[in-house]
Amino acid sequence: MDFVVSQILTGLSLSSILLLVALGLAIIYGVTGVINLAHGEFVMLGAYCAWLLQSQLGWSLLASLAVIFLLIAALGWLIEVAVIRHLYDRPLDTILATWGLGVMTQQIVRLTAGGELRYVQMPPSLSGSVDILGATDSAYRLFVLAVALGLFLATWCIYRYTSFGLKLRAITQNRAIASSFGINSARAYRLTFAYGAGIAGLAGALISPLKSVSPEMGTTYVVDAFMVVVLGGVQSLVGTLASSAVLGETSGLLAYYSNDTIAKALVLVAIVIIIRFRPQGLFAPRVRA
Amino acid sequence: MSGKVSRQILLYGVVCLAILIVPVLVDDAFLLNKYARYLIFGMLAIALSLSWGYAGILNLGQATTFGLGSYCMAMFLKLKTVPIHTGSDGLPDFMVWNNVTELPWIWVPFHSMPIALLAGILVPALFAALLGWFMFGGRIAGVYAAIITLAAMVVVNLIIIDQQSYTGGFNGITDLARFEIFGLTFDAYSASTYYLVAICLTVTLFLALAVSRSKTGLILQAVRDQEERVRFFGYDVALYKTFVFALSAAIAGLAGMLYTIIMEFASPTFLGVPLSLSIVIWVAVGGRQSLLGAMLGAVLVTGVQGALSETEAFLETWTLVMGGLFVLIVLFMPKGLAGAFEALVRRFPKAERKGGARHATEQTSKSQPHLGGAL
Repeated sequence: MDFVVSQILTGLSLSSILLLVALGLAIIYGVTGVINLAHGEFVMLGAYCAWLLQSQLGWSLLASLAVIFLLIAALGWLIEVAVIRHLYDRPLDTILATWGLGVMTQQIVRLTAGGELRYVQMPPSLSGSVDILGATDSAYRLFVLAVALGLFLATWCIYRYTSFGLKLRAITQNRAIASSFGINSARAYRLTFAYGAGIAGLAGALISPLKSVSPEMGTTYVVDAFMVVVLGGVQSLVGTLASSAVLGETSGLLAYYSNDTIAKALVLVAIVIIIRFRPQGLFAPRVRA
Repeated sequence: MSGKVSRQILLYGVVCLAILIVPVLVDDAFLLNKYARYLIFGMLAIALSLSWGYAGILNLGQATTFGLGSYCMAMFLKLKTVPIHTGSDGLPDFMVWNNVTELPWIWVPFHSMPIALLAGILVPALFAALLGWFMFGGRIAGVYAAIITLAAMVVVNLIIIDQQSYTGGFNGITDLARFEIFGLTFDAYSASTYYLVAICLTVTLFLALAVSRSKTGLILQAVRDQEERVRFFGYDVALYKTFVFALSAAIAGLAGMLYTIIMEFASPTFLGVPLSLSIVIWVAVGGRQSLLGAMLGAVLVTGVQGALSETEAFLETWTLVMGGLFVLIVLFMPKGLAGAFEALVRRFPKAERKGGARHATEQTSKSQPHLGGAL
């Protein structure tokens, strides 16, 4: 019993990180159709901001979260204005442009903050552990899980119940018609991109105490996050939630029997096979394209 | 049309000839080794241009197949090293360090040269064909396909690093024998190896040109521009795409084998994200819809990189400059240098520029003879 619970908790922890990272990617891709390959770099920048604020200004991680969200969102806003908005009708080129931006960001960080690994302290109030049904789990991991679910819920509510969300849904269905009804789609795209970037930054800050922080950390996250989005089906926030849970638990289980690398490889093979037969993703409702 | 074709073949021929006479003019083994490396990158660019420029499949993991080819060659050459470098019973040294007692079954066929050479081309091709069958059969296209190729590369890379006792892990496979065939020895620093690379490049370039000009090539370009329409005509789109994906992988595999000969080792960095990104940049700079342009783009960019990296200041900022240049090219010059050159050559360059990339590609498909331009 202990084993089952702790295994589930390990999986949930992996799932919550996947969800945090994939959420921003899913929002941006779902609304604007842009695959943001610089997403991993937003995550990395968020982690570096956490490190910088903590080591230079002595801020606790929890206190800096809001600042980090705003900083990275502002950066996302700038990138949308400078580059992305010129490429909305060339989807393949957005991959290239964001990839180029990602590489530049990595190199800038390497040149300024240095290439060595950095570490961020866990907030002292959350550094203990909690007993759940006989198994123990770190309080911080549970906190990350709660934040991930909270962010998901907030995003879902914005999407579902606010007038801005309604506009977003209209644009997603048909940008031209939505625009002719007076919805400012350019502004909506910009806000979406900034919001997605901000969430990525937040994800990076939250992950930073669990992993070491390095300029290259973003690459693996963006690949994992994309797997989540593919499996969950685009334009389906609930799909993103479900597939990060499935992927997190599966990777946790596979990693227990072999190791992280083999688990990752098996998950990828499974995803490639699944999309062969269900290209629209596991959880996407059938809609007319 | 036929006049244009012969002009194109002439141009390609002249460039290849120029590449082949380099060793006559340059008598420096170190430089020849460097130039041969640039030419191998040129082959990689041709491979990507075939799948990306002609069939619209953006392969962000082109280095996967390159690395697979490179490892095939390295495994063969490792087994040929003189016993000093290998452990007991002819085991490669790194296996001895990892307490492997018997040659793994996957290594056994690499004692034979024909099998190893075939494997260097067929393993990448089969890998790509399998991945392609899953992707294109599931009608995965565009951005999705691009990311899956990237993910596949990241995973293959992780596996190679993880399986240290079979692949040498992080360090890769080092201390290799020289490549020998038909009594000829190919020293990495020699004119003969340069010729080997140059000839392979020439053959590849003309093979790719022939494919792009064949009926299959035309169908692929049609798929790139209007996939649905081609499907409605009754063509098996997935089959065509899988074919060109595998062909491109085979070319990359060949390039990988040559790279091992030139570098005298194989390493997991050969199938890393940075190299893959570089390949995409070279092709974007040179012009994705021109085989020669893509190849020259690779030679040009790596050549400049090689020259600049000798000065200390540029070594670190190079990546930054490259990334910036790449973003600018994607934004303002989607057809790369080849496109700019064509626009210059043509009498009315205005018509080309107007309306950005989307219109430009559509124009390409509409005015087919335009592809018969010089590049």
